[in-house]
Amino acid sequence: MARHTLAVIALAAVALCSTFWTLLDFLGDYSHNRIFGVAAFESRFDELRKTIRPRTVYGYLSDNARNDPSAGAEFYLTQYTLAPAIVKPTPDEPLVVVNLHVPKPDQKLLQANKLVLVQNFGSGVLLCRRVQR
Amino acid sequence: MTFVCLAVVWLTGFGLVRGMFPRPLEWSLHNVLLLSLGIGAGAGIASCLWFLTLLLAGPNFALLASVTGGAAIAALAFALLTRRQGTLLAWAEGPEVPGYLPGLFLLAIALAATTFVILVVSNPHGEQAAWSIWNLRARFLFRGGTLWRDAFSNDLSWSHPDYPLLLPGLIALCWKLAGHESTGAPIAIALLFTLGTAGVLTGALGALRGKTQALVGGTLLLGTTSFIALSAAEYGDVPLSFYILSTVALLCLQDRHPEDLRFSALAGLMAGFAAWTRNDGLIFLGAVIVARVLAMVRVRERAGFTPLAQMLRLIAGLAAPLAVVLFFKLRVGGASEFRSAKPAVVLQHLADPGRWILTLEGLVVMLFAMGGFLIPIVLVLALYWYLVRFQVDARDRAALATGAIALGLTLAMQMLVDLLFAGNLGVEINTSFERYLLQLWPAGVLLFFLAASPLRLTAAEKPAPKGKVSRKAPKPSRRVAETR
Repeated sequence: MARHTLAVIALAAVALCSTFWTLLDFLGDYSHNRIFGVAAFESRFDELRKTIRPRTVYGYLSDNARNDPSAGAEFYLTQYTLAPAIVKPTPDEPLVVVNLHVPKPDQKLLQANKLVLVQNFGSGVLLCRRVQR
Repeated sequence: MTFVCLAVVWLTGFGLVRGMFPRPLEWSLHNVLLLSLGIGAGAGIASCLWFLTLLLAGPNFALLASVTGGAAIAALAFALLTRRQGTLLAWAEGPEVPGYLPGLFLLAIALAATTFVILVVSNPHGEQAAWSIWNLRARFLFRGGTLWRDAFSNDLSWSHPDYPLLLPGLIALCWKLAGHESTGAPIAIALLFTLGTAGVLTGALGALRGKTQALVGGTLLLGTTSFIALSAAEYGDVPLSFYILSTVALLCLQDRHPEDLRFSALAGLMAGFAAWTRNDGLIFLGAVIVARVLAMVRVRERAGFTPLAQMLRLIAGLAAPLAVVLFFKLRVGGASEFRSAKPAVVLQHLADPGRWILTLEGLVVMLFAMGGFLIPIVLVLALYWYLVRFQVDARDRAALATGAIALGLTLAMQMLVDLLFAGNLGVEINTSFERYLLQLWPAGVLLFFLAASPLRLTAAEKPAPKGKVSRKAPKPSRRVAETR
């Protein structure tokens, strides 16, 4: 009986203590606001989203560094936000959504990618047209 | 409205399973198990009907509402009008439950619920794979209107447009019937599947091994933080784990009640819905059929055992969802990433010993790291086994063999697919292997406690002669369920 009780107590204790420990971690993250905010990201695109129509295909450009781990996540979020339009991970499209982390458009970045500004939606969100040469 | 829609979906599933195993409506293990199974059955039926309606008539609100409501009414009518009495699933005979065990189980529920709430409140859109795959697809299907097929565009190849639609379909259906998008639908679906998984595990263990094993197994599952976090992440892995567990649990119950072939039919339906949830479910479906055949060959001499009839019921159950999956794969879904794989590269991966070593190393590391436990759970389970030991009932051998082979084959195939096709195997191991293990975890817990010796936790309980109780006890006392 003692062996069985020990087995059950050990199993339950490990499970419950692990949950409690992880719960404290999650609470810490939550209280320190260390969570990646999808809603905040989406709200930046609110104005652009109002102009979106289905079956539109956009290119995508960001000022994220190439090795920035959040670059991919921000592209996926842009697509998530702008669905049902399709966003391709390239600036080689007639219309390009630009996602900047500074409020003012980075003209050098736009010129380097042959883009001209169509509309600035604020919060670093731009709609650009690719110049055909 | 989202919650009304999900309630209708749940009632559809409950109506179906209650019609198959009718018993009076009262608070009982039987009905808890049916309510839990009903979550997955309803979700599968509703999303398959949603897909067929969308395919035939487009995103027509009135038709979608009629089909969803009609299915619920038909299922409830089936449940209420069935006059026969089916197999009763009651608590299996077992030792007296010590007072602290229900307390530990309730504490596990409370901690799991708190963890889930904190995670979904801080991240209502879920984690990355939720908004880059599952909820993204749901948005395309809902927002796209008549252009819903854009969800499977080759321009979205990074979002796996070949993945089956149970989860995005169910979310899109809720949004369509509610008339607006909300994060409430995917969160509620995640919660329902978590509750359902815990309910099926506890209920099935209760019917197979008694209340003590059920409470210990339930505490272990709800104490698996990674499992709860994966659910709150709104990924497809927890719904898949529900269907894998349900299939294995129903096959275990089938072997306890060989005369009632409805267990096999429902197991087939659950396996079919597993394939409609994720591509890994398709692997599981193949694995469970192979495993069942192998297990039946081993135990064919048992009295009352009807392998051919069981297999036919199993296949009948999975036929409809599998047909939906195949139609989706062949005519609607986007290109699979495997189609673009070059055979020469695949062969090179196969012949690379470094990839085999990396895969095995990744598996061993993940077995020790999985679950988010403070002490590796494999060590804790090894200690549990050392202290309690296994005592397999003869009636459970086929079910245990089926489950163990099915889970083993599924895991082996999943790892082989990664070994052959993954570009960066290291990243794939880090991001996928724990999820593979967690998909199989609830069914693994069921099999572990099905094999474990009966627990003796109170002084009043007299120890039984080891290994002989189940076989030598008179048959009526072994029976845990009555069949009329």
